[in-house]
Amino acid sequence: MVKQKISTISAIMLTLSIVVSYITSSLPRTFINESKSAAILNIVYITAIVLFIILLFCKLLKKFPGLDLLDISNFLGGNILKNIVGGFFIFYFILSSSLMLRNFCEGLSVVYYPLTSYVFVILMFIIALAISNRLGFISTLNTASIIFPLVLISAILLFCGNLDNFSFRRIYPILGDGFYNTFILGLKNIGSFGGICYLYFLPPMLKEPEKLKKIAIISVICTGAFILLCVATLLFMFSFFITTNEVMPLFSAARYIEFGSFFQRFESIFLLIWIISFCCYLSISCKFATHIFSKMFNLSDMKPLLTIFTILILGISLLPKNYAVSSSFETDFYRYLRIAIGYILGMLILILANLKKKKVGEKN
Amino acid sequence: MRKINNIFYKIFILILIIIFIYSFSASYTSLNLDNLAFVVALGIDKSTSNKLKVTFQFIKPTPSSEGGSQTKPVLTSVECSSITNGINIMNAYLGKKVNLSHCKLIIFSEEIAKDGISDEIYSLINEVQIRPSANIIISKCNTKYYIENSVPSLESLIPKYYNIFPHSSEYTGYTCDATIGDFFNALVCNSCAPYAMLGGISSFNEDSSSNPESLNDSTIKSNESLVTGNRLSQNIGVAVFKNDKLAGELNAIETICFLNIRKQVDSFLVSIPDPENSNSKIDIYLTPNSTHNISVNIVNGTPYIKIKFDFSGKIYSMTKGSEYLNTDVLDSISTTCNKYLKEQFTNYLYKTATTFDSDINGFGVYSLSQFKTSTEFDDYNWLVNYKNSTFDVDINTVMDSGFLLTQT
Repeated sequence: MVKQKISTISAIMLTLSIVVSYITSSLPRTFINESKSAAILNIVYITAIVLFIILLFCKLLKKFPGLDLLDISNFLGGNILKNIVGGFFIFYFILSSSLMLRNFCEGLSVVYYPLTSYVFVILMFIIALAISNRLGFISTLNTASIIFPLVLISAILLFCGNLDNFSFRRIYPILGDGFYNTFILGLKNIGSFGGICYLYFLPPMLKEPEKLKKIAIISVICTGAFILLCVATLLFMFSFFITTNEVMPLFSAARYIEFGSFFQRFESIFLLIWIISFCCYLSISCKFATHIFSKMFNLSDMKPLLTIFTILILGISLLPKNYAVSSSFETDFYRYLRIAIGYILGMLILILANLKKKKVGEKN
Repeated sequence: MRKINNIFYKIFILILIIIFIYSFSASYTSLNLDNLAFVVALGIDKSTSNKLKVTFQFIKPTPSSEGGSQTKPVLTSVECSSITNGINIMNAYLGKKVNLSHCKLIIFSEEIAKDGISDEIYSLINEVQIRPSANIIISKCNTKYYIENSVPSLESLIPKYYNIFPHSSEYTGYTCDATIGDFFNALVCNSCAPYAMLGGISSFNEDSSSNPESLNDSTIKSNESLVTGNRLSQNIGVAVFKNDKLAGELNAIETICFLNIRKQVDSFLVSIPDPENSNSKIDIYLTPNSTHNISVNIVNGTPYIKIKFDFSGKIYSMTKGSEYLNTDVLDSISTTCNKYLKEQFTNYLYKTATTFDSDINGFGVYSLSQFKTSTEFDDYNWLVNYKNSTFDVDINTVMDSGFLLTQT
């Protein structure tokens, strides 16, 4: 996929860039809507669960050093299984990035381009994606490495700048909608850690594949902390996210930041940072889908594929009839898709491959 | 072949640029300064013929090359069925697009506020251009009249005046910096109630026969203030809402209590009875300490609200023979001040609970820790039970003599 290998830092930034796009669209609102005041407790709980899953993932991958999920699927079920697994992941990467793009552009269109069709806003992102494809994957990762710290600063500023508007007591009732809703139904929030799906394909790309465990653990902890920061900002500030739906909730919070009468309207800077980060997410998703496709069919030249997948993202993003359809995908369907493909399918393949390896080892 | 490819590539880029110029020019044109009419204040009244009468206060932007001085604001009203329709009609009338991104004041008349303003608030919050920091005022008079008389006497720019005056609450405690963002947040909240600034026009006339001495400094509010001057509009007091309907008003001293509970005042002045002479009063400048403590317990199904305030005070009033270095005198003033404040706070709290039945203080948020789940809290229905609250106020004031003079 890439001639140059990815450094440990770039790999961490890659996984974190994925979650930024979810957070800027509707993820914090989903947490608050579902867990209510227990949203923070739920995030801590979910982070612990995902950390456990990640440790299991690293343990299972130990017997397949430097191999990605496609290689492991090939080992487990031959070419057919490899193609099926690859197909599922391509479907997931392209569909999710397309519909996330649609939602993000709809929000952007409402806020800044009231008289411009969202189609043109989407086209702007597609052009950015095409340019990043031409520049190469490493340039995308370098951009992500620069932008993510800025995104983090923006999230911290969002938290600190709104401290005056906070009511920390909104953390109560501590159990939100109850134990069952927080800890059992709340389990579906593991789908928020979207970067995991990308970890399956990282090992062959890493400069130091032995550091995969470190990358995975740091990514999960940072993702958890980042989600916590953003959800806490909304939870402490607003009482209405439980009942009211707002386009781009973090943008709403950013509108409240004022430092005196001179420094106001920070949301424009925030939005610019989020837009660049979103471009990185699109580029990463497109690259991973292309990588899987070329590996499935043993293609050596990826460049024509990148253009095809870019056009595919554009096409799918235009499919939903309106914002309601694309938004419901994001809140109702996307998480389950991520859990089914990222957690269940991926882990199942790893577990079965390990069993097979053990069996083969015993035979030999 | 490569040359042809290059030509095609350049033509493709050119077409893209043309498409984008065409598509984004509409948004750009709509946001062009020449095509915009900037609103600085929006007044909403009840109309006789239609549902609403919306008044817009526009400013004419003047380039800095022309001195950038303030031109006379333009006031225009429209009768319409909704704010959005009013804006649309105004767009047509002006031949420019009304822009609310610099709207600093949203004023509702008392009449319309009594009927409920949730529809208008939801519509305004849905408007991207409206900033959540725009102040919300309930005017005791016609909003057009209020805006007409809101001519700044010390600032040359109206938006600057609108930006500055709500902050006077921090050092007077006589008004509150109520924003539309906070109002909406409280409107949909199940543990607090919304509030707004109280505005009005001075009814005091120096030449009239009414006796101003009958009015107390601390019980004044908009429309009843003793101020006369170039600007007739006043903003003293708070408009209290129950759900989206105006439930009542707070006067100056009640506003001080309200702001103290919400921790929105840095310092304020109170006039307490002189312990040495019951006929005179002493002015005390009080600063709340950060050790404010509010706790809410549910006892036998009713809220028991305990409030503890600590203040540091300095004595403003100075007469011949004042002994503000004498500990006994200071203790005596502290005791009187504690008693006075406790009475004011208690009266205010019971007024919000029994008269207004509205938790503008946001005590509901303090009660959340008493419940294990949100469902339990919803079932308890805080906003209904607030009227049954019992209050226990504990005030502790430490007097620190006077300012420059400590003994005369």
